[in-house]
Amino acid sequence: MESLLKSTRRIQSACWLVKLRWAAIAVLGLGAFFAKRAMGVSLPERKLYFITGVLFFYNFILFDYIRQLKWGGKEPSTKTISRMIMFQISADLFILTAILHFSGGIENPFCFFFVFHMIIASILCLKRSSYIQAALAISLFSLIVLLECFGILNHYELTGFAAHGLYKDFTFISGTLFVFSCTLILVVYMTTSIVEQLREQEEGVEQANEMLEEKDKIKNEYVLRVTHDIKGHLAAIESCINLVYTEVVGPLNEKQKDLVGRAYRRTLKCMSFITALLKITRLNLSGKLEKEIVHINRVISSAITTVQNRANQKNISLNYEGTETVYDILGEQVLIEETLTNLLFNAIRYTPSGGRIVLTVKDKTTEYLIQISDTGIGIPKGDEEKIFEEFYRSENAKKAERDGTGLGLSFAKQAIEKHSGKIWAQSNPDGGSTFSFTLPKPKDSIPKK
Amino acid sequence: MMEKAKILIVDDDPDITEAMKIVLENHDYVVNSVEGIEQAMESLKAERPNLIILDVMMKTPQDGFILSRQLKDDDNYKDIPILMLTAVQEKTGLDFAPAAGDETWLPVDEFMDKPVKPDMLLKKVETLLKKA
Repeated sequence: MESLLKSTRRIQSACWLVKLRWAAIAVLGLGAFFAKRAMGVSLPERKLYFITGVLFFYNFILFDYIRQLKWGGKEPSTKTISRMIMFQISADLFILTAILHFSGGIENPFCFFFVFHMIIASILCLKRSSYIQAALAISLFSLIVLLECFGILNHYELTGFAAHGLYKDFTFISGTLFVFSCTLILVVYMTTSIVEQLREQEEGVEQANEMLEEKDKIKNEYVLRVTHDIKGHLAAIESCINLVYTEVVGPLNEKQKDLVGRAYRRTLKCMSFITALLKITRLNLSGKLEKEIVHINRVISSAITTVQNRANQKNISLNYEGTETVYDILGEQVLIEETLTNLLFNAIRYTPSGGRIVLTVKDKTTEYLIQISDTGIGIPKGDEEKIFEEFYRSENAKKAERDGTGLGLSFAKQAIEKHSGKIWAQSNPDGGSTFSFTLPKPKDSIPKK
Repeated sequence: MMEKAKILIVDDDPDITEAMKIVLENHDYVVNSVEGIEQAMESLKAERPNLIILDVMMKTPQDGFILSRQLKDDDNYKDIPILMLTAVQEKTGLDFAPAAGDETWLPVDEFMDKPVKPDMLLKKVETLLKKA
């Protein structure tokens, strides 16, 4: 997980560099164009355009390569990405050196732009690599400065912008190169030190996070074991009391029947709580989904069949407004069905007799939106998110129904989020509430533009 | 009158066994119960039941599976229908029900989740006996 996180972040860094370079290309092209026309600076325009072209070509290849890495399915190794970042920075140093050579060499104050490359290298690369980049920058720049000084390379003057004639002044050259080198090395030193501290802190946080996750897992396993044991006893209690209460083993007098009935109902409630707790703990502990094709329509009709009786008992009308279209997603059928059943049972539970519940499915471009609207008691303001927390129950829900596990919605939230969907609730303006959730479509079924 | 059907319950929870026994005996089944797979084999040798009700988790969490495989691989017993009781569905997160009857995977005829409701138990027992 950790290395995956880091490698994703590094790929993002590589993308960021490519984006920065697009901006640099635009600035360079426009700069070369306007420097001459607007400011009268003399520049070997063609050569600069040529460099812009090279830069564009090289960035495009990188852009395409990174895109392939990102969508190729195979996770590139951290090493590959590190190498790519190193390569990019080194190539950029060469290009900046070339640009400087064609625009005045040491006389061009833009030579201090090397600092940016040093900062980027210090942030994205290892300490040693950053110093190597600094050494490369210093060598490259000194090389053209010296070659220009000794007349081996042509010197392009930047008239109209910088002082000229200095490229042959040895005192100026040695002074500037000295300050230049010190600046780059100091920048690398400072940035890498800060970055190192930050990385250490980050690692600490990551470790703490991992530890918390591990602790949470242990807690869940403990809860699972305990609830499972309790369920075994409860099942036995229920089976036995049931036989007494239903008078299979002999008649009861009125008082006995009343008391056993109370005990029996409490057992059933305890059982449903334990069952809900088991389900949510199991969901917490389960890792990746075992995905299969799920026909949402079929799941919906199955969930409706499950709750229909309860709705009839309360004289609540339950309508499904969907089309004939088949909605398929990739996921775990049991979880989606359980979620739907939970939401529907909730709607029935908190809707007074004679009310109405409507279930709709809408086909959005990249996902399906499933909504359950009722004419029930609604959600108190400010509780819309809290009701999805474990064991939380709204005041009005407690009043309407004394018993409830407070786990149904929390289960729904986790189940939907495991499918990379979203779930939320809102009160309807004319009373009642609407619970909505989304399920992303499988990638190959999204129509391509 | 038809001969009374014999049912063997294999479950290590005596209370659940007792409750099921009462329900089944009230409906004229002859019920025998044992607490583990070894006793189950002994009982099977002594008297052949018409149906076996089998708990999944006894001494080990797989006892029920082991016994059911053993029985379905044995020509003498493979025709006896097995009704498996399970709380495993919750424990492992696996949904067994669709796999019931899938002989290659798990050779049992029907599943029921604990606690067993008396009317459901009777219904399943009746259907399985009719099929056999």
